[in-house]
Amino acid sequence: MQSIFWLILATLLMFLSMGWFALSLSAHQKQVNQSAIGHSQKPKPAQFKWVGWIALLLSGFCCLQADHPSMAVLVWLMLIACSAFSIAMILSFRPWWLRPLMSVLCMFENPANSDSNKG
Amino acid sequence: MEFRNTRQGMAWLHTWLGLILGFVLMICFFFGSLSVFDREIDRWAIPDTRFEPQPMPSFDDLLIDVYERTLPDQDEYDTLMPLYHDEAQGPATPREQLPADEYWAYTTHRDPVLRMGIGYRVPQAKNPEEHNHIHANMTIDPRTGADIPDEQLKIGSDWFYPLHYSLNLQWKFIGYYIVGIAAFFMLVALVSGIWIHRKIFKEFFTFRPDKRPQRKALDMHNMTGVVALPFHFFFALTGLIIFASFFYLPVTNTLLKPLHELHEEIEATTTGLPHQRAGVAAPMASVDAMIVDAKKRWDDRGMAGEVGFLMIHHVGDANSYVSIYRAGSDRVALVGEGIHYSAVSGEMIYEDPEKSFAENAGEFLTGLHLQHFEHWFLRWLYVAGGLLGCVCIATGFIFIVEKRKQQHNKAGSQDSRIVDAFAVTVITGMLLATVSMLLANRLLPIELSNSELINSDLVNKGTWEKIIFCGVWALSFLHAVWRSAPVARAQSNPAWREQAFAVGAVAALAVIANWLTTGDNLIKTLLLDPYMAVAGVDISLLLLSGICFWAAFQLPKKHSENTEATQCNQFSG
Repeated sequence: MQSIFWLILATLLMFLSMGWFALSLSAHQKQVNQSAIGHSQKPKPAQFKWVGWIALLLSGFCCLQADHPSMAVLVWLMLIACSAFSIAMILSFRPWWLRPLMSVLCMFENPANSDSNKG
Repeated sequence: MEFRNTRQGMAWLHTWLGLILGFVLMICFFFGSLSVFDREIDRWAIPDTRFEPQPMPSFDDLLIDVYERTLPDQDEYDTLMPLYHDEAQGPATPREQLPADEYWAYTTHRDPVLRMGIGYRVPQAKNPEEHNHIHANMTIDPRTGADIPDEQLKIGSDWFYPLHYSLNLQWKFIGYYIVGIAAFFMLVALVSGIWIHRKIFKEFFTFRPDKRPQRKALDMHNMTGVVALPFHFFFALTGLIIFASFFYLPVTNTLLKPLHELHEEIEATTTGLPHQRAGVAAPMASVDAMIVDAKKRWDDRGMAGEVGFLMIHHVGDANSYVSIYRAGSDRVALVGEGIHYSAVSGEMIYEDPEKSFAENAGEFLTGLHLQHFEHWFLRWLYVAGGLLGCVCIATGFIFIVEKRKQQHNKAGSQDSRIVDAFAVTVITGMLLATVSMLLANRLLPIELSNSELINSDLVNKGTWEKIIFCGVWALSFLHAVWRSAPVARAQSNPAWREQAFAVGAVAALAVIANWLTTGDNLIKTLLLDPYMAVAGVDISLLLLSGICFWAAFQLPKKHSENTEATQCNQFSG
C-alpha cells in the first residue's frame, strides 16, 4: 500500500516536471497562456527548468522509496517517456490545462501579482 | 551516391533502414507490447484456465504422477529418434519405453497453470556424449494435476510472444535472424535519427495537429522517438543480447565447443554437481522436503520467496540431483538463488554464490526485457513504451509516403503506392489479424480440439486460429494494394479507413463473443467476480475498438484536406 502511494507521487511529480520543462520553452509558454499572465510577470525559462529538475529528482526519490533501485530506475525512465508524451498531447489539444503549472510558479515569485491575476 | 554533408547521409540511411526494416520492427514492437500480458491473453483464450495463479504444487504428491504418466512427444520422437539412435546397436527403443533423464517445472506469479517438461534420453545413441534428448512439454492444472490440452493454443504465450522475436518463422531459425538484423539496424536508425533531428530539446514536446499531414507525421515520429528513446534503445539492445549466444554468435556450440565442454566438467568438479549419470539406478528422496529447506535458506538470507523453477537432473540415477530456483517476482532479474540437493539422499550439495558485477549486469539487462517481475504499474508503462515505438514507426511510414507521393504523382511513379500498401498491412492489417484471431478463438467450437473423426492437425482449433490470423493479414495486404490507386494520384488510400472500421467492429465483436460463450462480461469480471486478466483484455479490445472507429471517422476529413493540399500545390506549381 505504501509503495502505491510513492508510485502515485512519483507519477505526479514526473508529470509536473515535464510540464515545467515544456513551459521553459517560449513556444509552449505562448501555447498555454498569453493573456492570463502579463509578460512582465512571466517566470523566466531558467526558473521553470529549475523546478522541473527538482520535480524530476524528487520523482526519482519517490521511485526509490517504492521499489528496489534496479526496478525504480526502470519505472523512472518509463515515467519520463509517458509523462513527456502526455504533456505534448495536452499542449497540442488542451494547452490551457497547463495554466496552473505556470500560475504556481508566478505565485511563488510574487504572491501579490498572482492574487491580482485571479481577478 | 554523394552527400553534401554527414547529416544528409544520415537522413538517407535513416530513411532506407526504416523503409526496409520498419515493417519487421512494427511487428516486433506491437507483439512485444502484447507479450507483456501474454499470460493474461492466454486466460482470455482458454476459459478453462480462468482461475487464480497458483504456487508450485507438491512434487511428491502431484508432479511425480504427471511426469510418470507422460510420454515423449510423437512428432519429436518421429523426427529425432532416427537421428540420435544407432541402428548398429539394435532396434530403436519404443516411444513408450524411453527413460526420462530430466524433469523441469516452471511457474510465475501470473500463472494459474503450470508448465512442465521432460527430457528423455536415447539409450543406444550414436554419440552418447551428446545431449540426445527427446522431449515432452505439458501444461497442467496445478490444483488437480489434470492436463490442459495443447491443442487449445495459448494465443498470448505461444503465438503473439514468439511472433515478436521469431516472426513464427521456424525454418532454419530464419525469423530469429531477420529480427536480429532488424534490431541491430534499429540501433543504427536510432543514432542516425538523433543525428538528423537538430532540435531534440527544443521540439521535445512538439506536435502540431493543425499542420499538414506530412508535418504532423514528422512531429509525431520525432516526439515518440525521442521521449521513449531509452526504451527503444534498451529493448533493441537487450533483445539482441538475449539471443546473441544462442543464434547470432553461437560460439559455445561451434568454435569453442571443446572449451565449453571442458568448462562444464571443471564446473561440475568445483560445485560437486555430477556432470554425467553414474549408471546405477537409485530411488528419489522427498523433493518437497528439499523445497521446504530451500525456502528456509532464502528466508535466512533475508529474501523469502516462492519456487519459480524446479529441475531434476539424471532422473533415477545415483548421480541425480535437484536444482531449486527462487522466483524473481520482486526484482528485475529472472529466477535465481539456486540451491542444489542430492536427489538420492536429499542433502544440500551446493548453494549458488553471490553473483559478480558482470553476472548481475547481464541478468539485469535480460530481466528488464523479459519482465517476469510482479510490478503491474511498470508492466503497463512497458506497454505504453512499446506502443510509442509502434506510433514512431507508423508515423515514419506515413511521413515517407506523404513526402514523396506528390513527386511520384508528377513523375507517374507507383512507388508511394507500394510503400503505402505495406504500411496499411503492418498497421491496420496487423491489428485486424490480431482481433480476428481472438474473435475466431471465441467462435470456433472447442470440439475441434477433441475431434476423433479426423485425426489431422488441420482440425485442431489452434491451427485454425493461426490460419485465420495469417489469412486475414494476407487479405488485408491484398485489400490495401487493391485500394491503393488514389495514392498514385497523391491522395489517401481508402483502405486505411475501411480497415480501421473493420478493426473497430471485430474488436467489439470479440468482447461480445467472450461474454456470450463464457458468461464473463465486464460487470462480472470487474465487479461481481473480479478477474482482471480477462477484464484487462476486454477493456483493451474496447479501447482499441473506440480508437479505430474514431480514427476511421477522422480519416475522410484528412483525405479531403489532402486533396485540397494537392490541388493547391498543383495550382501553385
